Amino acid sequence: MNVQFKKGVLELCVLVLLDKQDRYGYELVQKISDQIDISEGSVYPLLRRLTKEGYFTTYLKESTEGPPRKYYRLTDGGRIYLHELLQEWKEFTNGVNQLIKEGVNDD
Amino acid sequence: MTKDQFLTKLEASLKRLPSDERQDIVQDFEEHFTIGLAEGKTEEEISVSLGSPQQIAKDLVATYHVERVEATASTANIFRAVWAVIGLGFFNLVIVLGPFIALVALIIAGWIVAGAFIVSPLLVILNTVMYPEIFQFFDLFFSIGLTGLGLFIAIGMYFATRAVTSGFIRYLKFNVRVVKGGMKDA
Repeated sequence: MNVQFKKGVLELCVLVLLDKQDRYGYELVQKISDQIDISEGSVYPLLRRLTKEGYFTTYLKESTEGPPRKYYRLTDGGRIYLHELLQEWKEFTNGVNQLIKEGVNDD
Repeated sequence: MTKDQFLTKLEASLKRLPSDERQDIVQDFEEHFTIGLAEGKTEEEISVSLGSPQQIAKDLVATYHVERVEATASTANIFRAVWAVIGLGFFNLVIVLGPFIALVALIIAGWIVAGAFIVSPLLVILNTVMYPEIFQFFDLFFSIGLTGLGLFIAIGMYFATRAVTSGFIRYLKFNVRVVKGGMKDA
């Protein structure tokens, strides 16, 4: 898929994954790369940016194996932003799907 | 690439960031390697999946400079941010540098017009000193009128410059958000 397009969507993916539970970086990266073909390293700059913009807070939590891990938690502002993005995404995909349906039927 | 090679390259590409920020970033990637290794992956596999450390660093550096501009929009900061954002990809040479040059040129042109109008009575006086025979009161009064107009243009340009600057910063933020930054098929 188009590169420019993917990076914008990555933001939505991260926000969605944090909606129900806090997660650590590695976990977020794996969840996304299981579904979408990305360079995994590009998730970390995104996490930093969204944290600085106040959409996430971070905290360290001990893990049973190995050193403590940095967890990301969605803030209230982050949740509002997530719902805005979700709304945009739904409108966008509905529009595209509609066009695809009409296009394919016309052939 | 081994873990050490990856982290060394990443750190080297981040040398323009403050050291606490750099340490924090490197630590995130160290954590990533640690967990990956614990899951049975090799250092090589993990670094291949992560992608190019230089491209990751470019993304981080661009974000950093754009944030700095938001805090203090000095000319030097703006140029650094524009430069860092252009570095994100060849594509940006066109869609960032083009509009940037056009906007800077427009702003400079506006300020030059305002400045020239404001100083125009001085030019008339200078002209009179050099060629007293062609002096006309019309020129003097007209140039004083231009001074007034120039002052208004300067005030307008002040607000226009601020608006254009903040608009362009918003565009840079949008660009960092959407354009490339370590994507696989880039």
